[in-house]
Amino acid sequence: MNARERFNAVLHYKERDRSPIMDFGFWDETLVVWQDQGLPEAINPDRYFGMDPQWITAPVNVQLCPAFDWRVLEDRGETQIVVDNEGVTKEQGKFLGSIPRHISHTLVDRLTWEKDFKWRLDGGSSARLPKYWADYVRSQSRPDRDYPLGINAGSLYGWIRNWMGLEAVSVLVYDDRRLFDEMVETVTECILTTLDRVLSSGIQFDYALMWEDMCYRAGPLLSPKVFKETLVPQYMRITQLLKQFGVDVVVVDCDGDITKLLPLWLEAGVNTMFPLEAGVWQADPVAYRERWGTDLLMIGGVGKRILAASTDSITAEVERLAPLVESGGYIPTPDHRVPPDVPLANYLHYLQQARRIWGHDLPNLEPMQSDLQPGTVEESTRYAWHLG
Amino acid sequence: MIDNPLYVAVLDGDARGARSAVEQALAAGADPQDLVSSFMIPAMDEVGKRFDEGEYFVPELLISARAMKSGMELLRPLLAETGAKPVGTVVVGTVRGDLHDIGKNLVASMLEGGGFKVIDLGVDVGPDKFTAAITEHHPDIVAMSALLTTTMPGMKATIDELTRAGIRDTVKVMIGGAPVTKRYAMEIGADAFSESASGAVREAKSLLNA
Repeated sequence: MNARERFNAVLHYKERDRSPIMDFGFWDETLVVWQDQGLPEAINPDRYFGMDPQWITAPVNVQLCPAFDWRVLEDRGETQIVVDNEGVTKEQGKFLGSIPRHISHTLVDRLTWEKDFKWRLDGGSSARLPKYWADYVRSQSRPDRDYPLGINAGSLYGWIRNWMGLEAVSVLVYDDRRLFDEMVETVTECILTTLDRVLSSGIQFDYALMWEDMCYRAGPLLSPKVFKETLVPQYMRITQLLKQFGVDVVVVDCDGDITKLLPLWLEAGVNTMFPLEAGVWQADPVAYRERWGTDLLMIGGVGKRILAASTDSITAEVERLAPLVESGGYIPTPDHRVPPDVPLANYLHYLQQARRIWGHDLPNLEPMQSDLQPGTVEESTRYAWHLG
Repeated sequence: MIDNPLYVAVLDGDARGARSAVEQALAAGADPQDLVSSFMIPAMDEVGKRFDEGEYFVPELLISARAMKSGMELLRPLLAETGAKPVGTVVVGTVRGDLHDIGKNLVASMLEGGGFKVIDLGVDVGPDKFTAAITEHHPDIVAMSALLTTTMPGMKATIDELTRAGIRDTVKVMIGGAPVTKRYAMEIGADAFSESASGAVREAKSLLNA
């Protein structure tokens, strides 16, 4: 069984030889800190830690096209002030692999929406596909492709929140609901037009990825009422198109406590929750399965705090999740990128236990079968979660 | 529910309505302090309650805080003339190494809505800056935020610094943020913890017996 067959089998509750072994990646600092703990320099983490081929997506731009020019405005030593590709002026740590602080936004109102953003959301733009697209389609359409391939299906709230900032978009929902709805619809149209071209190319995708990050420890950043009224109908248009082309695994990447939005995503056909952040609210994939049944697919759910705790607690968590892993519809991974306070020894212990229990006695730290080589088109398109 | 246009405007997040209600009440001879304590603060209390009960979300918190602020712009000068004092003074900041400000800003807005004077030190605030601000402003409470597990130790470092500087007993310390728990608050010697912006107001009032 190859990685593609295994991925599809587990997410369709079919028989498979073992669980895929996957991760969510690491903070930049983590790999540096781990070098002091024995990790060799300049490794490819996927290969070194023996992951199945994972998170490979087609090189298609569904975001702002062209993007804003990235510029450094000021160097402040440990941080710098930049204008990013979304027109956001922000302060970011040079060595902080986390969320930067937004200072100001290009998108502030209808005028800036019309002038600076709307035209960048033309789904028909030829620049959305790489110049080597025809070759790419040929290489990815081959029936013996042995790894799961995803397509980025965008973001209906997360992008707009990034472009405007949380406070501005929150207030916009009340001050100018028509504009908010129009923004969501325009983004949807852009995604649909782009996806239609890509899905019609002949590549059979195994899953679609959306990114929202619209929840935090107290739940959603937007009320479920507004979510249902404005976002659900637009998600449905996207998931229906995907389904027409045989893509029935639609992943949404959303940190925080997703409990209140989860049933609405399911209603909209967004059926795979990732990364199931355990968090201080103690989300648990086992409880989610009990509550929402087998319509809900899940990836993630291994609390990163457990990885920072004792090796006994890591083993206990891997064993606790084993029956759910065996039941299908669930691929366990750490619930976010692994932070630097997780010791390398703990992470290796986690992998050993994962490979022993979920991987049905896989040998330790040997890469799974994959024909990907460093620097290939496929490897260079690994999805960057933090970029959405 | 209180049947009053100012209360309703703040609760509904209607900034223009709140301003207009304040203007009309003042024209009719209302006492500025009474408008704040009888209508605006109870409205924000109700906003917090609805947030805790899952009826209100971040947008509703923000527009109510904005409505409160628009009314307060008219009332603040009048309150200053009468020598009226805020419920308390709170120094807020995100701890050293952490640039995140969304949660901290929400807490600051809700505290202002709850009648507190807020001194916002911003993000990446080291123990020395917290200490200097406490010495300068003599707040009742210092509230620290952290989004990252790796920056949480900055909270303990700040408390330790307050102790070293001999001013720990002059302020109450409140902490919050995505990875922060009540247990952690107890471990590092904080006086209070809140998992939400509305809860922060409640905790702050409880600390001051307000």
